[in-house]
Amino acid sequence: MDMSTLPDTFDSAIDDALSWISDNGEGLFDFIRAILEGTYDGVLWLLQLLPFYGIAAIAAVFGWRLVGLRFGIAAGVALVVCALMGLWGETMGTLALVVTATVLALAAGIPLGIAAGFLTTLDRILQPVLDLIQTLPPYIYLLPAIALMGFGPATALIATVIVAMPPAIRLTALGMRMTPREFIELGQASGLTGWQMFSKIRLPFALPSIMAGINQSLMMAFGMVVIAGIVGSGGLGETIYGSVRTLDIATSINAAIAIVILTMVLDRLTQSAGKGGKA
Amino acid sequence: MNIAHKDVSEILVDCRSVWKIFGTRAAAAIEAVETRGLSKKDILKEFNCVVGVSDANLQVRRGEIFCIMGLSGSGKSTLIRLLNRLIEPSLGTVMVKGKDVASLDAAALRDMRARNIGMVFQSVALLPYRTVLENAAFGLEVRGVAKDERNKVARAALDKVGLSDWTERYPSELSGGMQQRVGLARALAADPEIILMDEPFSALDPLIRRQLQDEFRQLTKSLGKSAVFITHDLEEAIRIGDRIAIMKDGVIVQIGNAEEIVTKPADDYVADFVAGISRIHLVKAHSIMQPVAAYRGDINALPRAAPEADISALIELTMQSEHDAIAVVDNGAVIGVVTTRDLLRGVAA
Ligand SMILES: Nc1ncnc2c1ncn2[C@@H]1O[C@H](COP(=O)(O)OP(=O)(O)O)[C@@H](O)[C@H]1O
Ligand SMILES: [Mg+2]
Repeated sequence: MDMSTLPDTFDSAIDDALSWISDNGEGLFDFIRAILEGTYDGVLWLLQLLPFYGIAAIAAVFGWRLVGLRFGIAAGVALVVCALMGLWGETMGTLALVVTATVLALAAGIPLGIAAGFLTTLDRILQPVLDLIQTLPPYIYLLPAIALMGFGPATALIATVIVAMPPAIRLTALGMRMTPREFIELGQASGLTGWQMFSKIRLPFALPSIMAGINQSLMMAFGMVVIAGIVGSGGLGETIYGSVRTLDIATSINAAIAIVILTMVLDRLTQSAGKGGKA
Repeated sequence: MNIAHKDVSEILVDCRSVWKIFGTRAAAAIEAVETRGLSKKDILKEFNCVVGVSDANLQVRRGEIFCIMGLSGSGKSTLIRLLNRLIEPSLGTVMVKGKDVASLDAAALRDMRARNIGMVFQSVALLPYRTVLENAAFGLEVRGVAKDERNKVARAALDKVGLSDWTERYPSELSGGMQQRVGLARALAADPEIILMDEPFSALDPLIRRQLQDEFRQLTKSLGKSAVFITHDLEEAIRIGDRIAIMKDGVIVQIGNAEEIVTKPADDYVADFVAGISRIHLVKAHSIMQPVAAYRGDINALPRAAPEADISALIELTMQSEHDAIAVVDNGAVIGVVTTRDLLRGVAA
């Protein structure tokens, strides 16, 4: 066998496989793509209902209530800066992408984490998968996605959801197993049903851990969204990617600043929402 | 709660030859117990199983406070958890209100725990994310009682334990003694007939503890509840309990009232516990008196006391009179005589 043709053989095998999948699964992938882009468009539309100072004011109020007055003012001002840099549309595009991806990741990850918290078998199966997802470089997930969904926000979303899901699963499962023994006993001795044990005892005790998982998922999503600029995600990621290629350093730095601002504001807000229980 | 119409001799909890053996080979160990009558030590050696409770028999009557006392590891927590089936017995039957608890299906068991048997823990286990009121209302909440109604009942229960001003606080804001009061209020709010208490006061300061012991006894009696109360402190058992069971290595070695335990300890283990206990409030006239014939003086001149008068009261009487003895009178008839010597013997023995 001629070794030099081996890479070509391999390439064409992959190509064949992918085109077989996309031919046969075309309806499915179009459907997924439509749902993802529909959700994304919906979130973006919502975010654009208000002018930039409206969003900044909302962030300021939440920052004030959840973190403190200084942080509230800083968050509001920082978002106004994003608008003044002429990147408001891109900032909202990124926010929409991050929010959509995180919500989807949580919608799948939290129930999965709850199930893994109760079923040790499921947990044993999930652990190596999650390890693998978190070990591989995140842009890997763009490749199959772009092959199947093409260029655009849907591909960015899929890859982002994959990257954002592991912390939500892990920390939810951990939280489910963290209920102190004496409270399980209290529940049993009080005659709780299985559902009551879950909703009135296990879940409240797991909440701080679940909130930490939400926060981490969000942060993973932010990290991915910049990388996803390569596949035409829209938003700041694509701005950075485009301006770096044309050596428009100023724009790329502005976009980076906008990302940092958005990340920090959301990080602090979700962190304090997690701690801001009554206990 | 009105208890006048209820039969006070009714047995609410009945434990018959109950065993609990922990370990992977518990089933084989139980078989060996049944066929060969092995001891706790043999079972550990032969089957590597721990005997938690060994052949326990006890009855708790309506309105009674039944204490279980023993050193740590003697099986008290295991025994009390057998009563509401938090732990399944390896052998024997537990009857609650005449029903074998092993025969209950999941729903009936939940119902029994929610309505008939409440529990208070040493760790208190107040839910940290709920207010004191919400904690006290927990039992009613899980039974589906409407919010207004359950809050009303929980408020009344908190009022009984003296915490009506703390309803909107969180458990972390309360002292240990107050937290344990909330635990008691939570159990009382569900209005069970039987309350299981697993060393509820063991972690508290002596002063607070004393106070809670008296409050608990008073409250339980005035509400007509029955209680099984665990402690490792014989003084606490004597203060609180109508009857006391003493446990050692999973075995109940003696059951009796305070006076019986103190004056007639069943073995050296019980005697060791009893050694430090003051008898002057426990030992009664009827157990130290002499027959009337043994007294040579004029019985009718002596001061008189009831058979239930304790040594402390008899000493008081002796101090006030110039006589050297007290006549014990029951229904108008002199049934015995207590001399100063008898008093000294009663305190010392
Ligand atoms: N779940 C369990 N598994 C194995 N051994 C246990 C378990 N629970 C209790 N034991 C053992 O049973 C004995 C009695 O324990 P326990 O009832 O907790 O005693 P106490 O409450 O009097 O301190 C101890 O030797 C303890 O180690
Ligand atoms: Mg114990």
